[in-house]
Formats: sequence, C-alpha cells, structure tokens
Amino acid sequence: MTSKTLTLLVAAFFAIIVVIVFQQIHTSMHEQGIASGGPYDNAAAYPRAIAIIISGLVLLQVLMELVSGSRERIPLSPASLKRAVGLLVVFAIYLGCLGWLGYHLTTSPMVFAVMYICGARQIGKMLVAALAMSFGFAFVFERFLNVVLPGGVFNLNIPW
Amino acid sequence: MLFESLVAGFQLFLTPMAIGLTFVGILIGLLVGAMPGLGPLMGIILLLPVAIGLPPLAAMGFLIAIFVGGSCGGSISAILLRIPGTPLAAATLFDGYPMAQKGRAADAIGIAISASAIGGLIGGVVLIVASPLLAKFASGFAPPEYAMLAITGLFAIAIISGGSLVKGLISGCFGLLLATIGTDEFSTGYRFTFDSHHMLNGFHIVAVVVGLFAISEMVHQIAGNGLLKKPDINVERPGFGSLFKTLRHWVNLLRSSGIGVFFGALPGAGGVISSFTSYAIAKAAAKPEERYGEGAEGGIVATESANNATVGGTLVPSLALGIPGDASSAMLLGALLILGFVPGPILFEQQPEFVGGIFLVYMASNIFLLIAGILATPFFVYVLRIPKFYLIPVILILCSIGTFALQASVFDLMVMFGFGLVGILFRAANFPLAPIVIGIILGPILESNLRRALLISREGYWIFVDRPVSATLVAVNVLLVIGALVYAYRKRHKLFSRAEEA
Repeated sequence: MTSKTLTLLVAAFFAIIVVIVFQQIHTSMHEQGIASGGPYDNAAAYPRAIAIIISGLVLLQVLMELVSGSRERIPLSPASLKRAVGLLVVFAIYLGCLGWLGYHLTTSPMVFAVMYICGARQIGKMLVAALAMSFGFAFVFERFLNVVLPGGVFNLNIPW
Repeated sequence: MLFESLVAGFQLFLTPMAIGLTFVGILIGLLVGAMPGLGPLMGIILLLPVAIGLPPLAAMGFLIAIFVGGSCGGSISAILLRIPGTPLAAATLFDGYPMAQKGRAADAIGIAISASAIGGLIGGVVLIVASPLLAKFASGFAPPEYAMLAITGLFAIAIISGGSLVKGLISGCFGLLLATIGTDEFSTGYRFTFDSHHMLNGFHIVAVVVGLFAISEMVHQIAGNGLLKKPDINVERPGFGSLFKTLRHWVNLLRSSGIGVFFGALPGAGGVISSFTSYAIAKAAAKPEERYGEGAEGGIVATESANNATVGGTLVPSLALGIPGDASSAMLLGALLILGFVPGPILFEQQPEFVGGIFLVYMASNIFLLIAGILATPFFVYVLRIPKFYLIPVILILCSIGTFALQASVFDLMVMFGFGLVGILFRAANFPLAPIVIGIILGPILESNLRRALLISREGYWIFVDRPVSATLVAVNVLLVIGALVYAYRKRHKLFSRAEEA
C-alpha cells in the first residue's frame, strides 16, 4: 500500500464524516429547530463551519499528494499484516463477547490467543500467564478499585 | 496569596493516599517510560480510568507523577538498549549509549535520573511562580480572548506535532468536531446523537483516547519484529553520588532546564524539541575534550534536565489558561474536568488550596523520582527483559477494564475499538493523533466562547479585532499559519531541488 492510497482512505473517511454532519444538520437538528437563528439558538453553525474547513483541508491534502507524485510504499510484510489483523479480530471477538459471557470466561482465552498470534508456542507457560494476568487484574480492579467487572449471562463474579 | 495557597495545599497533600499514589505514579511512570512504545502519554491514558475514582488531589498526584516519571523513564532503555523508550529520550542515547558501552551504564542512568529530577524541580519553581501571575493576567479575559487562545493552542500543536501543517489541522478539526457530539449547552438540542442515550454526553474522552493511542500502538507493536525476544541486559544500581556528578554540570543544568521550561510553556513545542535544542546548545558550548557523542556526561544532563523541565513549563498554560501544551497535559486537563475542576483563572480564584496541592504533588514527584529512580533501577532493567508478547495482552486487558470501568458500559468498549481503527488508519497515513486530543479538550472552550463573543458583539466578528489582547492573538494566529506555510514551502522547494540534482 502506498502513502497516496492511505491519504485517499483518510479522505474517504472524512467524506463520510462530512456527509453525516450535513445530513444531521438537515434532518435531526432542523427538526429540533436548532439549525438556524443567532449564536444562541443555532447549534449547527459551528459544526457546519468545522465540516467545511475539514473538507477544504482534506481536498488540499489530496491535491498536494497528487501533485507531488510521490508513491512512498509502506513497508509491511505479509506476516506482520497477518499478526495485526489477527490481533484486531481476536480483540473484536473479545469485546463482543465480554458483555455476554463475562470477564472471567473471555479474558484468559483472549490473552492466550494474543500470545499465540505473537508467536509464543509454550502452551503450559502461556496458559499460566493468561490465567495469572486475567485473575490478577480482576483482583486489583474488583478488590481495590471497587469496579464490578462484567459477569455475563452466568453472573460470574468472584467475591474477593 | 501564593504562600497561602501552598500552605492550604499542604493540608490536602499530606495524606497517606496522596503521598503514596504520587510515589506509585513515579514507579509506573518510570516503567511505562522505559518500555519502548509506551511513554508518559500512554501511561496517563491507561491509568486515567483508575485515577478518576480517587480523591481529586491523589488522582492528580498519581497522573502528574506518571507524566514526570514517564518523561525520565525513556532514558533507561535509550542508555541500555539504544532504543529510546519515548521520543523524549531520543537525544539521550547520543551520549548515554556510548557511556554504557564504556561500562558506565549505572553512572549514565544515575545522571539521567538526577538531571531529570533537578530539571523537573526547576520547572516546578517556574510553575509555582509563573502560573498564578498568568492566571491573574488572564482573569481579565473575556470570551473573544478565550476563543482566540483556543485557536492559538490548536494551531501551535497542529503545526508542530506531526510535521505536516495540513494533516495536523485536519486532525485538530476532527477533535473539534468530536467535541460537538451530545447535548448543546446553549440550545439544549441534541447533536449527532442518533437518538441514542449513550451519545447524549458525547463519546467519553478516555474511550476515544485509549482507542486512538493504546489500541493503535498495540497493533503497531504486534506488526513489528522481536515479539519473543528477551534483551540480555544487566546493570548495577546507580548510587546517589550521581547527583553530585550531575551538579558538577550546573551551568548546563540551569541553561537546559530554562530551555525546557520555555519550550514547555509554548503550546505544541514539548519535550522532544527542548531536549534536542538543549543538546545542540550544550554541545556547541562544550570544550572539545568533553567529546560529545562519545559518552559525555554533559550530553545526558542537557537532554534529561530539559525534557523534565518541560513538564513544569507545559503545566503553566494548562493550569493558568486551560490551554494544554501537549497531548499529555491535555489528558491531565481532561482528568481535571472529569474530577469537577475547571482549569484556568477560575481554578486559581475559587480553589487556591487545590492549585497549591497540585504544585506540591508536582514538586514531590520530582523528589520521589530521584529516590525511586535510583533505588529501583534494577527492577526497571528486569522489566525491560520481559518480551513483548507478555506486554501486549497486559495492555489490552488494561484498556478494556479501564474503559469499561468508566461508566460500566459496553458501548464505551465499542467506541474504544472504533477509535482504535481510526488511530491505525491515521498512523499509517502519517496523520498526527495528538491534535485530535487537543481538539477534543479545546472544542467546548472554543465553541462556547465563540458563541458568547458573538452574542455580546454588536459588530459580529469584528469583536475579535476590537479588543487589544484578542487582536494580538489573531495576529499571532495569522503569523503562525504564514510561518508554517513559508517553512513548508521552503522545505518542499529544498526537497525538489535535491531530487533534481540527484
């Protein structure tokens, strides 16, 4: 992937943001009656101005990239990319299941999976480390900081 | 006034919890600073959810100590591994690593810690003296001045933080836009909430920042090499004699600390610029026999005293004006707001005892840095030997529990993950992340003061040039942009010329 492609991706991201801003101004804010009037009533003027500035700046950045003609390649090996995507997938699954299955059933497997993605293969050591990290943090947060971690559908909470 | 505020601050500070957490904060700061890829900002972000459940001064002591410790901790890995733990310590390796190669690693670490502590204390004196004066001056500010000041802060950080002015400004504006999500304080209407009750107060800043910085950093780390590598390092504990070795360079120490405070007080400049500038000046002023670049003690003294003095400097505009000097101080301001305090002249007028307490925790942090840094060096060396494959899941757990603990909300976890993806994209495309945080912090200040200024104005936008201070700030902003454009043009011109010559 080149720097130009990445800039275009960021430009696409901001295009979506700007579209959302204007869509919200013309629908939700208009219906609430806060999209017009003076500085007190008009809650849409400021985000609209920022969205316009962002559009201008993004356009300028894209033009600069196109004019410069540089195609700097981002160095990323397939193995690195695989690890990065693997981490994101595992973490997304973890966050998705955290509320449903609870902290204790999800955290150790997530830690184990991340260590595996990193290339660790000493199963016994990894298992001990995953359990120690998971329960260690739970102890500190629940015992000392009074945080109630998600118990999930099984209501799994340890009364430390 | 100042004396009374400090005395009142003593009563808040002299509690086992405030003192204990300041000490723990220093240990954590040194730890996150020493670990390549983390640093003070990441330390503050990861521990912010823990801090906001604590009594206010203990919480601020904890976070400020992480800032102070983290600004010094990077020198340990710079000296031992030739990898600066943070960009702040990049200049330290010029002389720190050669010193370690000559078998003087313990001395180098001792000098780095001593110089950091002394630089930090000098920065603290400036903080204690200058910030009440600045706050007093700013107490006459009205909405136009605050609006222009917010724009100045944003411009300065956008210009300096990432190299590209346009990319910095885009990031800053993105932060401003994020700050508009939720209930509008004037009209009480809902903006970009999509009829979701989770969005009524906008995204929680901690969830956004953890995603942008911590999650993207972990993805960056896992994409790198050496995940299973265990560095083979061993070093003896430095002695307190390092303090005297550092004091032998007192001229360098004072000069570099002064440079650090100056750059710290300028929004956006920060520790990296101050440490490189101090190093360059110290090298230019040194005698040839001092051999800078080959293990000179003065080189370490210059960079380390400067980057820790910067912390004191950066807290001056942050506390007195509510304008953060860098991303770390923006997070400290975020913490202050979450804890129910409004930074700026009002804080100095209405809660002088709390301000005094902040001054004291800052000074205590630097004293603890000297003690803990020297006594616990073998522990930090041991931690540096921990392979990354243990570190990455630890940080992911901390991100998840910390973010969940904010409001016991799974929605915050989704926000964190979403901004993690945004952070990855921005990093890959070389868009700076720090201006986003500054934008989120400055956004409400800018919008409310802009709208208030327009409400009291009879001539619309002319109010910003009618008032002397506001007009000066407008001129500063124009000059900043013109200066940045000229600099960018010259840089580009040079690059093209070189390319043509080649």
